[in-house]
Amino acid sequence: MSDAAVAQSRSPGSLWPKWRWLSSEHPLPWLLPASALMIIFGIYPLLYALWLSLHKRNPVTRANVFDPDYNWMKAFGDQRVWDAIATTFLYTGIALVIQLVLGLLIALLLDSDRKGYGVLRALMTLPLVVPPAVTGMMFLLMLDGSFGVLSRSLYAVGLLSPQYPILANSSTALAGVLLADIWQWTPFMVLIMLAGLRSLPKEPFEAAAIDGATAVQAFFKLTLPMMSKVIAIAVLIRGIDLFRVFDYVKVMTDSGPGTATETLTSYSGRIYFNGDFPYASTLSLITLILVIIASSLFMKIFRVKL
Amino acid sequence: MEQSLPKRILRDITAVTVVAIFMFPLFWWALTSIKPMYAIFNKDEVVVFDFVPTLINYAVVLLGWSRAEIAIESGSTFGVGGTSSYDSRQTIIDSIIVAVGSTGLTIILAVLAAYALSRMRFRGREGFLNWVLGQRFLPPIAIIVPLVGMYKVAGMRDTDNLFLGYIGLIVIHALMNLPIAVLLLKSFFDDVPKDVDEAAMIDGATRWQTFLKVVLPMVRGGVAAAAVLCFIFSWTEFLLSLFLTTIIRTVPVKITTFVTSTGSEWGFISALGTAAILPGFIFILLVQRHLVRGLTLGSLKE
Repeated sequence: MSDAAVAQSRSPGSLWPKWRWLSSEHPLPWLLPASALMIIFGIYPLLYALWLSLHKRNPVTRANVFDPDYNWMKAFGDQRVWDAIATTFLYTGIALVIQLVLGLLIALLLDSDRKGYGVLRALMTLPLVVPPAVTGMMFLLMLDGSFGVLSRSLYAVGLLSPQYPILANSSTALAGVLLADIWQWTPFMVLIMLAGLRSLPKEPFEAAAIDGATAVQAFFKLTLPMMSKVIAIAVLIRGIDLFRVFDYVKVMTDSGPGTATETLTSYSGRIYFNGDFPYASTLSLITLILVIIASSLFMKIFRVKL
Repeated sequence: MEQSLPKRILRDITAVTVVAIFMFPLFWWALTSIKPMYAIFNKDEVVVFDFVPTLINYAVVLLGWSRAEIAIESGSTFGVGGTSSYDSRQTIIDSIIVAVGSTGLTIILAVLAAYALSRMRFRGREGFLNWVLGQRFLPPIAIIVPLVGMYKVAGMRDTDNLFLGYIGLIVIHALMNLPIAVLLLKSFFDDVPKDVDEAAMIDGATRWQTFLKVVLPMVRGGVAAAAVLCFIFSWTEFLLSLFLTTIIRTVPVKITTFVTSTGSEWGFISALGTAAILPGFIFILLVQRHLVRGLTLGSLKE
């Protein structure tokens, strides 16, 4: 018997050709369970959100009436939406730059085979597993206007005045929230940059050293270009997660003071709690659309593929 | 490149300092959890070590002591009476059930999908991979409103039926973790040469047998790593747990309820916070090796 015939006689599909797609030779049974979960709890709610966004909510009767452009036009003319978009981009941009630069520098610092560095690298991963809501709390405590240890240190060195607690002042509140994000996620960048650094080939650096290149030159001419793929992937993943920030804002300032730290996600959450589900859906879809546009542009420009 | 001694010492000092700065919030948090109230809320000076350590905060959140007992203990009658809303035993049990359940569900679904994606060539394979990736980046807020509606109808949001409540959170955490698990496991399956499968099948094993008896045992480490990451992400998840259920409070949700308009109970918050962080610390040290792969969805290896 040929191999093909052996395979034929073995496969249950050959007995009942109609049921071939149910046999383990066919990808369907393997993918079906995961697909079912993603359709029922992912695709269906997404379509439902789209459907909701095309309806106007009557606040008295609580009925949703079909009015396809009502919520979208409302969002377009809502200054709070524009402010939230601006805050979201500002937050994402600042956090991304700081985390990337810090991450790269710390990775270079910790990239050593000498004794003790392994422990330091392991310690550096710990912030990653702290629940973000708990991280928010940690910084809320440390930034407390009257007894927070960080606030008081900043008062002591004159960077901050006790009259303007960092989280209660609309011009500094975002910085306070960013601090929590940067503490928690710089280690993410450190880890990925370390992995990138460790995978670099040794030869170019040896050649550069022989040619008399300084460490700084080697970094900009060799390390950075060779790390570009790793950096792009890290920026993409982190950027998308930053764009939908919710936990820190909710826990630390609840979008306040006023709307100073209101991001798209938190504004959408607030509308949801007010009961205007169609408008909340519209805002969350705007978040999604912006994420898709920004990330596909990024992937196109930097030719990243995950 | 060998560095000179002074340079090396300078580097060591900088490295230790940087890591110490990152460890400080954790240290401060743990320290706060064993401070008595007067040391936490001291507005005149920052109390670092000048206090009598106490485990009272842990007794309240982990053992369910009431505030009355604390008051009697400390010889004051302030705050006596009322049941303790800081008792977090049920919260911890809830969190463990949800995290373990969703991890199990995720891994079962993901391991099947990942095997097919790694081993079979079929129409729509790329599309499926993109779908999974897209699911990872879908902001949860985009589906939360309809999900709440669905959960209400299905009786998973605000019923007395704890079981349905658990199922609700387990399923949605599984959805959240599925993309990471699928892509991570696929990268581990990709590391196993296809010859292994072919050899087994030539010996007469079916696809299913090959998968279960031959390939799956070879990626045990990968499955463990994926499971640990799923557990951590479920354990730390906040938004979905906050919106989707009113009967179950996971640890991150519960802890935010300790912040009240009349003041925050920092002793209790930091005690529960410290207890909530510990499982993650232990687990993360177990998967150090695969962490980068997990965080970059299998696209970068260490």
